[in-house]
Amino acid sequence: MNGDLDTARSTLRQVSRELLARPNVTATGVGYKMSGGRRTKTLSIVCSVVRKLPASALAAGDLVPATIQGVPTDVVETGRIRALQAPTGRFRPAPGGVSIGHRDITAGTLGCLVRKGGQTFILSNNHVLADSNAAQIGDPILQPGPFDGGSLATDHIANLEAFVPITFLAPEPPSECPFARAVIAALNAGCQVIGSQTRYRIVSLQAQDNLVDAAIARPLSAADVRDEILGIGSIQGTAQGTLGMAVKKSGRTTGVTTGEILQVDVTVDVQYGAGQVARFTDQLLAGAMSQGGDSGSAVLEGGNRLVGLLFAGSDVTTIINRIEHVFSALGVTR
Amino acid sequence: MRLLLAAVLLAAAAGACGRENMPASIQEARAKHEARLMAQPGVVSVGIGRDADGTEVIVVGLDRERPETRAALPRDLDGYRVRVQIIGSVRAR
Repeated sequence: MNGDLDTARSTLRQVSRELLARPNVTATGVGYKMSGGRRTKTLSIVCSVVRKLPASALAAGDLVPATIQGVPTDVVETGRIRALQAPTGRFRPAPGGVSIGHRDITAGTLGCLVRKGGQTFILSNNHVLADSNAAQIGDPILQPGPFDGGSLATDHIANLEAFVPITFLAPEPPSECPFARAVIAALNAGCQVIGSQTRYRIVSLQAQDNLVDAAIARPLSAADVRDEILGIGSIQGTAQGTLGMAVKKSGRTTGVTTGEILQVDVTVDVQYGAGQVARFTDQLLAGAMSQGGDSGSAVLEGGNRLVGLLFAGSDVTTIINRIEHVFSALGVTR
Repeated sequence: MRLLLAAVLLAAAAGACGRENMPASIQEARAKHEARLMAQPGVVSVGIGRDADGTEVIVVGLDRERPETRAALPRDLDGYRVRVQIIGSVRAR
């Protein structure tokens, strides 16, 4: 038995370079030969290929011979082998789950790709791609984001296409408005003159609630983005988030994490730094499954159907926009 | 004929009363009380969750322990239990 292993290993050392020169072969090694999906007891030289092709589709010189110096060979399909790379790195093409950001922010997460008018766009949060309403349409988007070393010269991946403005709660009561006070004083004076018992007073309108923190960016080239999510794979359509649903996300800071939808119909006040607060309604609330920098992550259920867009959280919660609101606010689809 | 008309009116009135007295869904109850709950000091969220026994409850989130707010919050609303939970400040990430 040991003799077979030694023979296979020394043969592989002699021929691995030649095998790897064949266009389809990405890796070689010694392993038990597989037959009909089961492991046999025969040691073999295993060639990993991107795709298994019929012998007729290959030039004779590109075929892996059935045996090499008496040692049997095996061919297994493994796909393209990629280096495991941190999501804070530079990716081309860039998948969902990696660092991205407007040039004036730190860094957030590229959620996923969406479609609008037959074109492909990058989906993330307004506060990631549009600097919380401060950006101009057409502004450059960097991958990785500025905090992760992204620079305009080398990492410009897309331009801001559209964003849903976030409405912040008024920091002071609007009744301080001098114009309103003057108008009211004039109206009430008029009422007094005509002898009416009616008096007017200022009513501050409740700031409009938000449904989403969302924006899209147009890639400079379709070849710079990849329609899958790092560590999760391809998206299988969309679904509605429900109470108790198991969910997962892939984000710039904490990578792939899982959780559960613990609350629905959530109204929540979210802080945006610099004392700004925005109220969001009809949100999903999950447990601790994110950190700063994970904003913009796509949230998926067990079958890889897209249910939301992660944008906020506390020490023990993660707040998620419903994907149906994100899509309708931006006019996009999958 | 008059009797029939009276019967119809009575039935309609009963129907209207019935609708008014119908218990609100938990979604309706949450929405109805949302503004009042969110206005309490330290309340950062109001949602619908589940208790350990699987019952749907209205969940009020606090930024930190707030004995006065806790004491002021109702135990139930329109027949639905209210659970108070400290979730901390919620920030954009």
